[in-house]
Amino acid sequence: MITKSFVVKNQYGLHARPARMIVEEASKFRSAIYISKDGEEINAKSIMGILTLEARKNSELILRIEGEDEEEAMQALTEVMEKISLLEEQF
Amino acid sequence: MAKAAKEIRLQGVAASPGVVIGPVRILTGEVAMISRRTIEADQAAAEMERLMQALNQSSEELEIIYQQTSAAYSPDAAQIFRVHQAMLSDPMVIDECRDMIQKERVGAEYAFSEVMDRYIEKLSALGDEMFRARHADVRDLKRRVLHHLLGSEIAPIVLEEPSIIFARELTPSDTVHLERGKVLGFAMDFGARTSHATILARSINVPAVVGLKEGAASIKDGDWAILDGSEGVLILNPTPVTEAFYRKRREKYLDRLQRLEKLKDLPARTLDGKNIELACNIEFIEEAESVIAMGGDGVGLFRTEYLFLSGAELPTEERQVEEYTRLAKAMKGKPLIIRTFDLGGDKLPPFITLPPEQNPFLGVRGVRLYFNGASSLFRTQLRAIYRAGLHGDIRIMLPMITSVEEIIQCRRIIAEIQEELRREKLPFAEQLPLGAMIEVPAAAVVADLIAKECDFLSIGTNDLVQYTVAVDRGNPHLLYLYQPYHPAVFRLIAGVIQKAHEQGVWVGMCGEMAGDPLVTMILIGMGLDEFSVSPGSLPYIKEIIRNVSVEECEEMVAQLFELASIDKIQRFLNDSFRRKFSMEMLI
Repeated sequence: MITKSFVVKNQYGLHARPARMIVEEASKFRSAIYISKDGEEINAKSIMGILTLEARKNSELILRIEGEDEEEAMQALTEVMEKISLLEEQF
Repeated sequence: MAKAAKEIRLQGVAASPGVVIGPVRILTGEVAMISRRTIEADQAAAEMERLMQALNQSSEELEIIYQQTSAAYSPDAAQIFRVHQAMLSDPMVIDECRDMIQKERVGAEYAFSEVMDRYIEKLSALGDEMFRARHADVRDLKRRVLHHLLGSEIAPIVLEEPSIIFARELTPSDTVHLERGKVLGFAMDFGARTSHATILARSINVPAVVGLKEGAASIKDGDWAILDGSEGVLILNPTPVTEAFYRKRREKYLDRLQRLEKLKDLPARTLDGKNIELACNIEFIEEAESVIAMGGDGVGLFRTEYLFLSGAELPTEERQVEEYTRLAKAMKGKPLIIRTFDLGGDKLPPFITLPPEQNPFLGVRGVRLYFNGASSLFRTQLRAIYRAGLHGDIRIMLPMITSVEEIIQCRRIIAEIQEELRREKLPFAEQLPLGAMIEVPAAAVVADLIAKECDFLSIGTNDLVQYTVAVDRGNPHLLYLYQPYHPAVFRLIAGVIQKAHEQGVWVGMCGEMAGDPLVTMILIGMGLDEFSVSPGSLPYIKEIIRNVSVEECEEMVAQLFELASIDKIQRFLNDSFRRKFSMEMLI
């Protein structure tokens, strides 16, 4: 199992489009992928889960990945988080 | 229409500008009541199968809607339906439905409806509007899937006459399913500026008012109404006096839309004939198309940080050549200013490590990084730009220049990489104009010296303001000082333009100030040669440029320089704007 922490950097937080970007990437891997915020943990392959997490700008998140392809998954999701931090649009 | 009904004025939130007058058509948008149908244990698998089929059908339908919306409105607006598709394949939703069907022995439609309601409730309870607004999307999706489960279709809503659509809350599907051309405006009890339906309304220029709260209690189907999306007002059964007033407002608004639309193919030329370059700031290659579509004169700032921040690996030279070439070709010969990567401060990709800094914004950032920690990265990017330079009018801009030496140093590196490319027999552009960004007060003060070493200058106002007033943009206690309207900022800008012109070098501006309609005349009066703004604000700035003369702008600058305080300057800019234009010309 590996974990890594992130800070949400884009203005509008992990709303619809960024949530979809995470789900899309997470779903490519076999590993179980979780995101937690303030102790609440959700399945990163679930867009509903991510939306209800209400991760606004500057929220601290922990990504926890467990499975055979966990290293690759972490790398891919790190890239997605960086891409998201540059998003400016509202949805 | 000859009803003696009383005029009712409902105040909501202005969500999409414009004024319309017409009958109200109420949309209920509800599906048939879902009954709790009990099933036998051996039917669970079949019910689940039904659900999966409905989800698939919905997804296929959404794919078509996505394509249509993308073509009819914009790919951006259509993203909503991609999100809906992701919701359809959400493993949590599917698991929860399966659980309910198996354990509670209920029909698929009941299980799905219950699970969706749970999420609607959860989202509605969130504190942040942006997230709360998503419950309307889930509601929309729920309705779509239920229609498939119940065997009914979501047919386009037929409007007999152009109408103002009222709903407690409109979903994105409602919005795109309505017959275009017959929708005058949207009014909703719920919803927010950030609801997808609202965003869509704005993207198709249909006025909208949201947050009417209990409008449903006052509105009857067929009521004659005025909707003012700029003020956020819905007036039911208006008196003739009220209606006449709003008809005039509507005419003015339509005139303005028409004027902006017509501007597309006209040059950004002042009344007395001075041509001003009006370019765009962009970050993604896909935006190049909108620059051309908006009638922009080029790209005044292409930020390249994205290339470096979006991957865990260094972007290779080949990939960069490809990206810059693609962009240059998309610009169809119009100038493209590529800014070499502006990293450091708070943005650093994983493959650059710097010793910790006490004050990163006064530390290794911009051009400084090219000599401390990222020199090979800089060389690779330059090689790529020079190679791509064969395919368009590419220019290079260096960020965060503080001294002349930095430009000389960069020129030396450019000479070296050109030598390398020659040795490697790789084709490249021999001459690309090189410019410096002026965003540090020291550079502004010696703009003449810097201009001597450059082909152009571009003023970056966001950082220039921050460094001039020595205020961290993020510090809430000092917001009163972080002011682009500080007299020092104006003096520096005027000085930069003058000093550069004395050296025969042109000056652009790619900071936020360039897109601020309140200072457009000031910048023209100071002699700015190029404005680079976001594609969205381009027509607004163009409209101002085309309605002023250089002479009156120069007078305005002279008056501005008489003013000592930020407050007075702010008032002066506001008043001058109001006198000359209508406030509606403010974005």
